[in-house]
Amino acid sequence: MAEESGLFIYGIVPSDVEPTPDAVGVGDPPGEVAAIRHGELAALVSEVGLTEPLGRPADLRTYQELLDGTAAVAPVLPVRFGTVVTGPDAVADLLEAHHDRFAAALDELEGRIQYTVHGRYDEQNLIAGVLADNPAAADLADQVRGQPEAATREQRIRLGEMISQAVELRREAENRALLDALGPLAVATAPRAPSNELDAANAAFLVDGDRSDEFIAAAEEYAEQRRELIRVRLLGPLAPYDFVSAHQLVE
Amino acid sequence: MTIATSGGQAAGGALERGGAGSNLADVVETVLDKGVVIDAQVSVAVVGIQLLEINARVVIASVETYLRFAEAVDRFDITPKGQKGLPDLLDGASGALGAGKAVSDVGKTVGAIGGVVRDAVGELGSDDRERDRDWDRPRRRRDRED
Repeated sequence: MAEESGLFIYGIVPSDVEPTPDAVGVGDPPGEVAAIRHGELAALVSEVGLTEPLGRPADLRTYQELLDGTAAVAPVLPVRFGTVVTGPDAVADLLEAHHDRFAAALDELEGRIQYTVHGRYDEQNLIAGVLADNPAAADLADQVRGQPEAATREQRIRLGEMISQAVELRREAENRALLDALGPLAVATAPRAPSNELDAANAAFLVDGDRSDEFIAAAEEYAEQRRELIRVRLLGPLAPYDFVSAHQLVE
Repeated sequence: MTIATSGGQAAGGALERGGAGSNLADVVETVLDKGVVIDAQVSVAVVGIQLLEINARVVIASVETYLRFAEAVDRFDITPKGQKGLPDLLDGASGALGAGKAVSDVGKTVGAIGGVVRDAVGELGSDDRERDRDWDRPRRRRDRED
């Protein structure tokens, strides 16, 4: 690239990790992924043009695939998407400045992998359950049902608010149930914020590699028990995105 | 498809499996605002690069949400349990309807993000959905046992 370029940093790994020659990076055309080493650490990077906007779906996928693929074979600290520095010297400075802390964090992650469990309510069953539990809401539902929205706007807002509050309570209980069911099989848990008003539960789990099967079996059981009410999805194995807190490493 | 996962849905199981590349909404949710933050005070030159705006956050409680819930009451014609039982919940088709709804919601999110992205970059390659060319993950030089 003739234009000015920088280095996009994907993550920090032990120094013995090396990208395969055909690993592709973000950008278009994609940069070649390289490891810049310093002491016991290495940073996975690729060159990007500074004028090129990043954040296309393909860039996000590339970033995640590289980190998840790395996490399958070695511990990795994901670096926040979009971190670009001026060049190899800047990367070395970064690794130098935080060497011991990064190395300790990588030790903690050795042999561990993240799974995310995400449950979403079946809307119809959810609302039916809320109305069955709440006579006042059921009453409002009767007033609203089949009536034009304009004429029943007040009732609709009140009804919706009641449902929304009830869903929030259920969500809290469901998140507790999820952590109770799967937390004991993980070395750490991290609740995730709901991303949709129908979210039932959302949490990340850091799991020892040799307990993966056990964890997945427990997740299947959790999902089975809620089959009618909640659509449960398991994402992973993933890099430990939820287990490197933003400011715990770099102050 | 992910690298190390079987991917897809376990046969007959209630648990759905997904991973990197499964769908864009998952990628956005998994990855954005996560990871180590390196800021300028590290004396490392962090370059201000232009990131496309990606906003997948959903407001959890708002009047809009309330009206949507109320609309759902209408749409499903849900009969409160105390009065007539729940005949339409016993109907097997209703479950499928709900599931389809959830799926299309996800699709909508993806579309919205795709829209933002497309505006900003212009023509978007159609290959981005299945960009899982066989790239290889990094491997370790030494073996794991040391």
